[in-house]
Amino acid sequence: MFRDYISLAVRSLTKRRLRTYLTMIGIFIGIAAVVSLIGLGQGLRIAITSQFGFLGTDVLSIQAANINFAGAPGQGAPNPLNDTLVDKIKKINNVEAAFNRYIGSCTIEFKGNQKIEFVVSVPGKDDRKIFERINNLKVQDGRLLTDQDNKGLLLGSNYLTGVTYGATFSKPIHAGDKVLINGKQFDVIGILEKKGSFMYDDAIWMNDDTMLNEGIRPSNGAVNIISVKVKDVNKIIQTQQDIEKLLRKERNVKAGEEDFTVETPQKALETLNSTLFAVQLFVTIIALISLLVGGIGIMNTMYTAVLERTKEIGIMKSIGAKNFTIFTLFFIESGLLGMIGGAIGVILGLILAYGLAFIGSIALGSNLIQAHVSLGLIFGALAFSFVIGTVFGVLPAYRASKLHPVDSLRGVK
Amino acid sequence: MKFINWDEIKYALQNLKQRKLRSSLTVISIMIGIAAIFALVSFGLGIQDYVNNLATQSGTDKLFVMAKSVGAPGTDQTFFISQDDIDFMSKINGVKEISGMYMKPAQISFRDKKRYNYLVGIDMSKIDFILQASNNLKIIKGKQLQKGELGKVVLGYNYQIANKIFPREIKVGDKVLISSQQFDVTGFYDLVGSASDDAQIYITKEQFELLYPSEKDKYSYVMIRAEPGVAPKDLADKITERLRKHKGEEKGKEDFFVQTFEDAIKTFTTIITIINSILILIALISLVVASVNIMNTMYTAVLERTKEIGVMKAVGAQNRDILIIFIFESGLLGMIGGIVGVLLGFVVASIGGGFAAAAGYALLKPIFPWTLIAGCILFALAVGAGSGVMPAIRASKLKPVDSLRYE
Repeated sequence: MFRDYISLAVRSLTKRRLRTYLTMIGIFIGIAAVVSLIGLGQGLRIAITSQFGFLGTDVLSIQAANINFAGAPGQGAPNPLNDTLVDKIKKINNVEAAFNRYIGSCTIEFKGNQKIEFVVSVPGKDDRKIFERINNLKVQDGRLLTDQDNKGLLLGSNYLTGVTYGATFSKPIHAGDKVLINGKQFDVIGILEKKGSFMYDDAIWMNDDTMLNEGIRPSNGAVNIISVKVKDVNKIIQTQQDIEKLLRKERNVKAGEEDFTVETPQKALETLNSTLFAVQLFVTIIALISLLVGGIGIMNTMYTAVLERTKEIGIMKSIGAKNFTIFTLFFIESGLLGMIGGAIGVILGLILAYGLAFIGSIALGSNLIQAHVSLGLIFGALAFSFVIGTVFGVLPAYRASKLHPVDSLRGVK
Repeated sequence: MKFINWDEIKYALQNLKQRKLRSSLTVISIMIGIAAIFALVSFGLGIQDYVNNLATQSGTDKLFVMAKSVGAPGTDQTFFISQDDIDFMSKINGVKEISGMYMKPAQISFRDKKRYNYLVGIDMSKIDFILQASNNLKIIKGKQLQKGELGKVVLGYNYQIANKIFPREIKVGDKVLISSQQFDVTGFYDLVGSASDDAQIYITKEQFELLYPSEKDKYSYVMIRAEPGVAPKDLADKITERLRKHKGEEKGKEDFFVQTFEDAIKTFTTIITIINSILILIALISLVVASVNIMNTMYTAVLERTKEIGVMKAVGAQNRDILIIFIFESGLLGMIGGIVGVLLGFVVASIGGGFAAAAGYALLKPIFPWTLIAGCILFALAVGAGSGVMPAIRASKLKPVDSLRYE
């Protein structure tokens, strides 16, 4: 029975080949646009969030409140965190380690080229090993810092290629080279392994004492971030609340009026992720407009089909076809139009997404441009195109089912 | 011979009316695409208009000197412009006016609620120049600060509106805390149009130095106006070179940069134009689909009217007449879609602009010049006529005898 429906629908579609093709083109252009745009957007989102999502789930970071998007974390905060807090935080239950982190900037000069870059601190003494473990710091050249390296630094992997922030800065720098930091000579002790994030690969790493001595961080005890590693990750929420309680007391603020945040790295990412998602949604909505237009095309084609086959419908009804049978017949036909259009659209969208990502990454030399088309997206797009076909087919199919057999046979419209 | 005559127009209209449902669906499909494009372009033009206004009102004779940094302005204090640098630059030939600006994120509290926004320290003896250079910004409530005045603050536009920054609106005479010190609010500046600018806090230079003694003479940026007749670009090069020597820095190793107002705007408009173009490109896809729909409708029309075409040809219609009739018909479909689309786009853009203004982005204000309206309608007409060419050619090539026999 169902096979009859399908074969009838296919036969009518192939009879008016040109119109069928044109209608399907309308759908597959829309589906291809949606699939490729979502695919590219998804890829970009994964690439951007991976720039930040490198810390483990067992690390909390504490920052003083500041205006949004003010550059490096904790930089220029009106009421910064104090470097004495960290000892009190260490006494909280479930805290394995806590350390102050400083971010500053300096000029770096190598072979006559100068650039301004940011400096990230490495804590000394007992904290050093834990810091290196949490951040999974490993060198590909040279060695890591020790407490004695007060004129030494580590460089992110991008300095090895001479390209930081995507712009060519200088000749490649290797471990053992000498660079000028704010005009003073420093030894490059090691080059870190590549992490795929600018926060590691473009950074200059120094002992926090060195940063203080060189005036790269303020001497007033202001801290950019305090990182806290917990022992038991299952109790992280409790630890977070304990830290908040301590800081409220220390900074003399009431609950609900905190001028600081205690966040897991995942939580911090959520904001960025939701912004990117909003942008992607907007672009997708504009692309969806074309699918709507494609749907109207299906509706038009189906109304025309009903009109042309009025006599045919009359004959079918006079030999016993129920209203429901006629409805199903046209309903399946428009659904098929949508789904076949969708299938071609998905294939075209895949080619477009990966092709554009390939061309884009070569043209811009950035690994941020990549496509990611998930299975969910493919099946979602197929299902959606079928739904579009059927939704826009409902009205024409309904009209067909309601035709009077006698009138239709006579050709009265 | 006339291109088209009245009879042909009447015939086309009649045909469209006869197939009302199909015509309306085709019109709707082109309308949607045109509406999307119209709305997007109107926003793009609105932003360009805003920027152009900014340029003419604040004058293109403006330059900025800024310290290099790796963060947002005022957050990275590693490099700065000193008072000595400013005094030096004021003596450079071609510099008419110059003023250093302090800028720093600060905490402001009102009725126990805390917010974080930029605090700006202004040299009040230069206030006329600074305001004129800031898009002719004016005080809309209360009064201006006086030079050296302490304990007084002027706030950005959004502070006087409830639930914009604070839950309660602030009035002239209210007291606020900035970095835990009490200030009297003496006035409010007019709307700038961007949420961050309208949330700024303004105090005198002297007060700023008192509040942050360690940052005295460390300016985040410097505003300069060129003498009439001096090209800002040339002045920028001159300042770069002189200041570099003054600070004892080598070429290419400056810890500051000089930017003309035009350059600053250019970067901004380029980014906006690129984003807007991408969106319009995506919206154009829907117009492509709409054009396929028109083609489909026209092919169907040719098929249905095969006999009619045969009759017309039999009574003497030329191929060219048939061609024109069908192209005219599809062009008409496109144009009607264009007109309705412009109307819909107008409504959508106006609503969108209202939402943007409510969210604090008053610079996202769509404008509707008549060139845009006419352009969109003409474009729709062209798309319609263009999509009709192939079906019309098919119609014009039909053989009279075959068409007459067609069932």
